[in-house]
Amino acid sequence: MKTYNLAALLVGVPLLMAFSIPLFGFISKQLTKWITILTLGFEFFFGLYIFLWHIYPFNVIMGNWVPPFGENLYIGPFATVLIMLVSFVGLMISIYNLWSANHGDVTHFALLFLMFIGGSIGLISTGDIFNIFIFMEITGISSYALAAYGPERRALGGAFKYLVISSIGSTLYLFGVLLIYTQLGTLNIAEIGARISQTTSGLLTFAGILLVAGLAVEAELFPFNGWVPDTYTGAVNPVSATLSGIGSVGGVYVLFRILMTVFGKDGNFVSTYGNIDLMTLVAILGATTVVIGELSALAQKNVKKMLAYSSMAQMGLVAIGFSIGSKLGSYAGVFQLINHSIAKAMMFLILGVIVSFGIGEHIEDMKGLWYKSPFLTITFTIGSLSLLGLPLFGGFWSKFALVDASIQRGGWYDFVIAIVLFASVVEAFYYLRVVGYMFTSKPSSVDKIKVSISPAVPIVAFSILIIAIGIFPQIVGGISWNAAHELTDKMGGYVLNVIPTIVGH
Amino acid sequence: MIDFLQNWIYLTGAMALVGIGLYIVLTNTNIFRIIVGLNIIDSGTNLFIVTIAWHPKSVMPIYTATNNLVVNGHVISADPLPQSLVLTAIVIGLGTTALALAIAVKIYQKYGTLDVRKIKEEDK
Repeated sequence: MKTYNLAALLVGVPLLMAFSIPLFGFISKQLTKWITILTLGFEFFFGLYIFLWHIYPFNVIMGNWVPPFGENLYIGPFATVLIMLVSFVGLMISIYNLWSANHGDVTHFALLFLMFIGGSIGLISTGDIFNIFIFMEITGISSYALAAYGPERRALGGAFKYLVISSIGSTLYLFGVLLIYTQLGTLNIAEIGARISQTTSGLLTFAGILLVAGLAVEAELFPFNGWVPDTYTGAVNPVSATLSGIGSVGGVYVLFRILMTVFGKDGNFVSTYGNIDLMTLVAILGATTVVIGELSALAQKNVKKMLAYSSMAQMGLVAIGFSIGSKLGSYAGVFQLINHSIAKAMMFLILGVIVSFGIGEHIEDMKGLWYKSPFLTITFTIGSLSLLGLPLFGGFWSKFALVDASIQRGGWYDFVIAIVLFASVVEAFYYLRVVGYMFTSKPSSVDKIKVSISPAVPIVAFSILIIAIGIFPQIVGGISWNAAHELTDKMGGYVLNVIPTIVGH
Repeated sequence: MIDFLQNWIYLTGAMALVGIGLYIVLTNTNIFRIIVGLNIIDSGTNLFIVTIAWHPKSVMPIYTATNNLVVNGHVISADPLPQSLVLTAIVIGLGTTALALAIAVKIYQKYGTLDVRKIKEEDK
C-alpha cells in the first residue's frame, strides 16, 4: 500500500479557495475569476504530475488511521485520468468565464463553480461509500444553484426539477449504503468489496437497486434523467457545459466503481434476483437511454435542447460500454466518457458565443453562420464529427472499441452493436443537419462575428485535443487501458491496493 | 404487542415517513408542498439511520465503570457510527431545503405563481 498524503490537496484546495472567494470578491470581481483559473490550473498540473511521474496508484490516509478503520482517498489510474479530465474541462470553462460571466453575481458564481469542482474531484477520489454521499451532495447543491444562475427565468424551473429528482436520488443512495452497513458494519469500499459474499442476498439485491437508482440520476440513465433537458436548456451555457462535461463524469465513475468493485465477483457480478445481475440491468437502462435520447434529439428544433438530449444518449453509450464487463468494454467506456466530455463541453461553449451575438438557439437561426464566423462553424463541425464518430476524430476510437467489445462478448450483446450503429446514424443526421444549415444560405447582409481571445482559447484547445486524440489515440488510450484494468481486476486492481492484508471471500 | 411496538415502531415509522414524503412529492403541483415532501423524506431517512443503530435493550456507547458495553461476549451498546452519520445527513437536508426555498422565492417573483402546471404553460 503506497501512501501519498499530499494528494489530499486535490480535494482541499478547491474547497478552501471556494470559501475564500468572497474575501477576494471584496477586492475586485475580476480577481475571483483569476483565482478560479489558478486553482483549476493547480488541479490540472497536479493531476498531470501524478500521471506523468506515475505516482498512482496510492492512498491518502487521514491521521494515520489505516483503512478500513479510517477514511481514505484512493487514486488509481481511473481516478487519475478522470481528475485530469475534470480539471482540464473546468480550467477551460473558467477561462471562458473571464469573458462570459459579466452580469449578475460573479463572485458567488466563482464560489459555486469551485465548490462543484472540489466536490467532483472528491467524488472521484474517495474510498468511502458514505463520503460519496457527502460529495454527491456538495456537487449537487452547488450545481442546483449554478443551474438557477442567469437572467432567464426558465433556468429556475430547470434547477428546481433537478433539485427534486437529485435529492430523492441521493436519499435512495443513502438507503442503499445503510442497508449494506447493517450487513457488514463497514463503509470502506475495499472492505465491502472483499466481504460482499457475507451479505444476505435478498437485502443485497434491494440495496443494489437502490444504489443504482440513486446514482443513475447523476449518470443520466433513462428513467431518472427527466431533469436533463430542462436543466441544460435553462442554464446559461458555461453551466450546461459544466454539468455535461464534469457533473456526469463523477456520476458515471461512482456508479461503475460500486457496480464493479463492490458487486463484482471473480470476473462475474453478484447475481441477484433470478439470473439477472445488476450489470445487465444497467446495460438495459443504457440501451433504453441511447434509443430514447437519440430519437428525442432528432425531434428537436432547438439546438441547445438537441445537445441536451444528445448528452443523455452519449451517457447511455458510456454505460453500455462499462456494462459489457470485459476489459475492452471498460476501455471503451472510459474513452467514450473522455470524448463526450470534451466535445459536448466545447459545443455548449460555442453555442454560448453564438447566442451572445444575438443569434437565437433555434436551428433556423444557424443559417449562414459560415459567412459570419468561419471559426465557430469549423469548431462546431469538429465537435459534431467527433460525437458521431467519424475517423480522424476522437469519437471514432471509442465507438470502434465499443463495437469491438460487444462482438467479443457475443450473446445478446450483438444487439448492442446495432444500437451503437443506430445511434451513430441518428447522430449523423441531426448534427449534420445543423452543420448543413450553417454552411448554406448566404445572408444578404453579413455582419462578421469577432470572437474575442478568452472564449477562443478553450474552443481552440478542445478542438485541437479532439483531433489529436483522433490521430494519436494512444495519448489517452494507454491510461484508459490501465483504468479498465483497475476496474475489471477487482482484488488486484483496487481492494489489495487499499487493504493489502485482506482476504477476499 | 408492546414488544412488537418497541422493536418495530421506529423502523415502520421511518418507512412510512419516506412513503408519505414520496407521495406528497409525486402528487402535488404546488412547489412549496413539494419542498415539504422532500423534507419529510429527509426526516424518514434520518429516523432510519438512527434506528439501525439501536435496539430496545441497548445501552449508551460510552465505556464507564458501571456501563458495560459487552455482556457474555455480545456487544449490547448502541452503534455510535450511524449516530454520527445522521448529523451529516441532517445538515445536508437543511442545506437542500434552504436552497429549494430560495429557488421557490425566486420562482414566485418571476412567475407570480407556485403552481408547476401554470409555470409550464407560461414557459411556452
